[in-house]
Amino acid sequence: MGGGGFTMEPDNPALDDYVRTLSPAREPRICLLPTAGGDSEDQIRRFHMAFSGKLCEPTHLSLFRLGQHPVPLRDHLLAQDIIYVGGGSMINLLALWRAHGLDDILREAWQAGIVLAGLSAGSMCWFEWGVTKSAGTPMPARGLGFLPGSNSVHYDGEPERRPVFLSAVANGAIPPGWAVDDGAGLLFRGTRLAEVVASRPAARAYRVLSMAGEAVEEALEPRLLKAPAHADPTAPLAVEEMRALYAARRGQRRLD
Amino acid sequence: MTRPRQIVAFGGGGFSMEAGNPLLDDYVLGLAAAAGRDRPKVCFLPTASGDADHYIVRFYRHFPASRCEPSHVSLFRRDCGTDDVRSHLLEQDLVYVGGGSVICLMGVLRAHGLDVALREAWEAGVVLCGLSAGSLCWFAEAMTGYHGNSRPVEGIGLLKSSNAVHYDKEAHRRPAYHAAIGGGMPGGYAAEDGAALHFVGDELARVVSSRPASRAFSVDKVAGEVVETPLVTHYLGAAAAEPALAA
Repeated sequence: MGGGGFTMEPDNPALDDYVRTLSPAREPRICLLPTAGGDSEDQIRRFHMAFSGKLCEPTHLSLFRLGQHPVPLRDHLLAQDIIYVGGGSMINLLALWRAHGLDDILREAWQAGIVLAGLSAGSMCWFEWGVTKSAGTPMPARGLGFLPGSNSVHYDGEPERRPVFLSAVANGAIPPGWAVDDGAGLLFRGTRLAEVVASRPAARAYRVLSMAGEAVEEALEPRLLKAPAHADPTAPLAVEEMRALYAARRGQRRLD
Repeated sequence: MTRPRQIVAFGGGGFSMEAGNPLLDDYVLGLAAAAGRDRPKVCFLPTASGDADHYIVRFYRHFPASRCEPSHVSLFRRDCGTDDVRSHLLEQDLVYVGGGSVICLMGVLRAHGLDVALREAWEAGVVLCGLSAGSLCWFAEAMTGYHGNSRPVEGIGLLKSSNAVHYDKEAHRRPAYHAAIGGGMPGGYAAEDGAALHFVGDELARVVSSRPASRAFSVDKVAGEVVETPLVTHYLGAAAAEPALAA
């Protein structure tokens, strides 16, 4: 996901519902890895708020709190149907996963058919390369490389990533790849792009190629996911919406 | 005048663990002020906690602008380049590393090149301190609590010895530390909550404590046997009347 899901669109569960239905399990076990956000309590709370009322079995895994709450990492992750990676710092995410051996465990999970999902840093991490703002200014950073190619996120929401992504693809610093707007998601089966979906009508994704030293963007038309009833703008203010509003007023950060 | 290299490694304590007992924090602030500034520059690194908001807020509460020039660096929400973080750290009188997970701390510090920057700061005479993970990180090897067991983790290695923290709190740490040293880990120092190891240069200069009963030990392998020796500890509250003790 280029952006979206419970952390960025608390009132529009279309992408999260889509992820949930990718697992054939009736009540899929879904585990949040909030690593990129420093295991932020806010991200964890919002995940449970979003998923606890749905047909699934949500858990989260905090690498920062393993001392207090020990979890057998491999056993827990390989027992999931879906692993959902939150946003935050891509550089920290990969460093922390490597320090705990999660790079190998996640590859095993992927090969075992567990659905891997995520937004922002939690999207770019699956590709060979991403464009991260972990160090302030946008720059290319290596991912786990399960999927060939590169990925840039928040393509509409954070336009400063775009020139960095395009020039890195154009000059061959990173391989061709996909740029994804907030609200759009790419489904890969194996290493092939199977479907492009969106939670909002305007959200787009782009195939970005290098042709004769120039980056070329080809727009990919997403399938608009059915908006759930309570996303109706005329509906009364939902509790989650109100909380999000208060959170915004308190100056809470936006997940990157 | 060149400033000496100094590290103060708390086994536990300071504002993170002893909200009503400022003795260890006052001690490191005193070292920072001795460098010549009345309002020393103090930078907090909350990395080991995942940059937890409530932890950062508590730091600013306990290190108010009236006593120092406080700042913090968040590596999860960085808005400037590594060179800027490096020069910010080099400008400090004191860098205070918070507690949390030492494995996470080391992973993130290295990913941002701050292991190198902190070494430079130390060599330039910036006082380095911290508790728990923020103590372990300065040593060559550290014992961390993990899955209820302890295991060794490689630190930045400014100090060539090893380190164990919360030595009184968690029963598995002592046998695990002894076993690790018996198995070839460099000898080192274990500190209980409230005890702090003050290194000047490469040598342990002094052990101080915020509680009368807090102890620290040196643990070494001597002729094939692991030997633990209690260290003379200087209680920082001795002159004050009834210092408040917090959990």
